[in-house]
Amino acid sequence: MNMIVPLSSLQPGERGVVVDIRGGPNFRNKLVAVGLTPGVTLHVIEAHPYGPMVLFVGGTRLAIGRGMASRVFVRRL
Amino acid sequence: MAMKVVALAGNPNVGKTTVFNALTGMRQHVGNWPGVTVEKKEGVFEYKGERFLVVDLPGTYSLTAHSIDELVARNFLLNGNPDVIVNIVDATSILRNLFLTMEIFDMGLKNVVIALNKMDLAEKRGIKIDIRKMAETLGVPVVPMSAKEGVGIEELKETVYNVAHGKVRPNPVTPTYDPDVEREIRHISMALSQTELTERYPVRWLAIKLLQRDDEVMKLVLRYLGEEKLKEIMGHIGEAEAKYGRAMDLILASQKYEFIDNLMHRFIRYTKSEGINLTDQLDRLLIHPLYGFLALGIVFYVVFKFVFAIGLPLQGVLDDSFSAFGEWLAPHIASETLRGLLVDGIIGGVGAVLSFFPLVFLLFLSLSVLEDVGYMARVAVLMEKLMRKFGLPGKAVIPLILGLGCNVPAVMATRTLDEERDRLVAMFVNPFIPCSARLSVISFISGAFFAKHHALVAVSVYLLAIVVALLSARFVSTFLVKGEETPFVIELPDYLIPSWKTVLLHSWERSKEFVQKAGTVILFGSIFIWYLSNYPLPVGTGSSYAEKIGMFFEPYMKLMSLDWKAAVSLLFGIIAKENVISTYGILYGSADALVNAMTPLQAYVLAVVTTLYIPCIATIAAIRAESNWRWAAIVTVYMIFVASLVGITVWHLGSVLGY
Ligand SMILES: Nc1nc2c(ncn2[C@@H]2O[C@H](COP(=O)(O)OP(=O)(O)OP(=O)(O)O)[C@@H](O)[C@H]2O)c(=O)[nH]1
Repeated sequence: MNMIVPLSSLQPGERGVVVDIRGGPNFRNKLVAVGLTPGVTLHVIEAHPYGPMVLFVGGTRLAIGRGMASRVFVRRL
Repeated sequence: MAMKVVALAGNPNVGKTTVFNALTGMRQHVGNWPGVTVEKKEGVFEYKGERFLVVDLPGTYSLTAHSIDELVARNFLLNGNPDVIVNIVDATSILRNLFLTMEIFDMGLKNVVIALNKMDLAEKRGIKIDIRKMAETLGVPVVPMSAKEGVGIEELKETVYNVAHGKVRPNPVTPTYDPDVEREIRHISMALSQTELTERYPVRWLAIKLLQRDDEVMKLVLRYLGEEKLKEIMGHIGEAEAKYGRAMDLILASQKYEFIDNLMHRFIRYTKSEGINLTDQLDRLLIHPLYGFLALGIVFYVVFKFVFAIGLPLQGVLDDSFSAFGEWLAPHIASETLRGLLVDGIIGGVGAVLSFFPLVFLLFLSLSVLEDVGYMARVAVLMEKLMRKFGLPGKAVIPLILGLGCNVPAVMATRTLDEERDRLVAMFVNPFIPCSARLSVISFISGAFFAKHHALVAVSVYLLAIVVALLSARFVSTFLVKGEETPFVIELPDYLIPSWKTVLLHSWERSKEFVQKAGTVILFGSIFIWYLSNYPLPVGTGSSYAEKIGMFFEPYMKLMSLDWKAAVSLLFGIIAKENVISTYGILYGSADALVNAMTPLQAYVLAVVTTLYIPCIATIAAIRAESNWRWAAIVTVYMIFVASLVGITVWHLGSVLGY
């Protein structure tokens, strides 16, 4: 089943497609600008329970805070 | 004929600085953009006998109104009339980089050249790019480069020259969106059209920015077309968003990425899949919640040692040479006034400025290396959570630690922070961190007055200072600086061997800038204090201005059990904190007399106040250089206030507890 889940619940090695970003304009802009936008595919490289997550998106490696990752919604691939 | 202007635009970390240096060599000038503390670099290159002025725009991911950097870049593109725009694109992350390119195309700018950098890295990763097709698809010239190796620089100059002279006429693609969005863009364009506003700015760009609710463009509409019109347009956008059930800026962004994705397929091929590489393996360790911190500790230790173990002795040597020079010169000057002014004031002052040079240079060298290797981003990731509790980003831990050595380079290090707001907070609290000069005061007092527990006493002063610094950071970031905390997402570049040329040039420029900017303040400060301590009669006679000032403040000092001599010593401490004890010694006749004159509690209060009371003059100069006079003044006043408050509290608390 292709479920929509917060990015923060993905495990290392999993892939997903961003479907929505929930947050204010500043927040959205910041994510969009670094390439996290609805429609893109991402690949989780690392996720420490209390630390940030490391992702691969469009040729770039990004670190993103847990709090932010929980406001990005993805469809698991 | 005026020089043609070339603007360099690109994402952070694409190699903009490397390209800039390769183009201009040493012919560059670093300053600030008018009105803001965003760095502005300009340089000149020559091609076929013609000189071109290169303006380096701040590195940004997009051109919204959400950050000063982006606004600065965008305003220059719109209003600065550059003849050619060189958009530097990282070949290893084309999708994200072309987002900025599309924002530039959205502005209706034509004379764009793409410098496709890091081709060497792209090749290694199996990314195949058909340059001719890429240029054709995007409608602008594309120059493949490896700036680090100097590959492609001449071709870039040639292309810029050709575009500037109309020999090549770029015709950039217009980013287009879904029919629904296009309809909204048309609708808003109609509402705006045929006004003074649309003569000054491309109407399609205005419409797109309004759809994104861009503050600055909304202000423009308000100014040119009035409130009615703005309300009408924004009302329409509100309706549209309700219809699509999603914020318009998100819709535009994802369609822009889709547009880029469609174009990209025509000229790019990935022959290897993105696998886990060496960087990822290193990161398992370096941003691990446990090992990462251990590694961080080691890196800090090495940097700290490197900067201060080499820098402080060099500083001493320079200081001594200037003193020796002064002493040698003194007998040759007949006039006593002139001798004092020259030897104590000017030579002392210039010596103070130059003696900081090695420290500042070594610091910038270390920071550039950490940055270029790619480690700085990992520091940010590791420390983010902890530092955020005090209203600072993770990277701000670096200036704090450096402050333990010397606050001057530490304040300069705040410029590695990306947001103006964070820089202001970080330099505000830095002077609270006890530098090595204050260590000499703290260890003298703890040694002389607390024979048994001297280590404990010294540590307690440090802890107190660090707590004050962190609480102040919380306080300032909540009440004094504007701007919301920035959400945490950061690019983690591949680890790389740094380019020594870039690193050295960078450090040299920064250190030179420090001497230029902070030099005059330190010099005049030294002359002023020299004046106060020698007129009308020298200190020790009881009638110098310095002593009069001290006596004037005596009632205030009494609140924390200190006398006028403390006030005078603290005044001299503004030049350099280690002066506090030596001045005290002079006023009491000897250091022993000083020890007999004070109770341990009074001495402890003195240690605390010396640690907290005011940044030394070089630090004030550094803060001013990194921000402005107003901020330097606010820091100074705040510190005097906090030092008094803590001093008085410690005295009363200590007395009540019976010390
Ligand atoms: N492999 C490779 N690396 C490069 C090339 N050009 C620059 N770099 C590296 O990319 C990193 C960033 O380079 P800078 O010139 O500092 O980039 P910048 O765009 O000015 O970065 P910011 O100062 O963060 O805005 C450095 O580590 C450079 O050594 C290149 O052509 N190939």
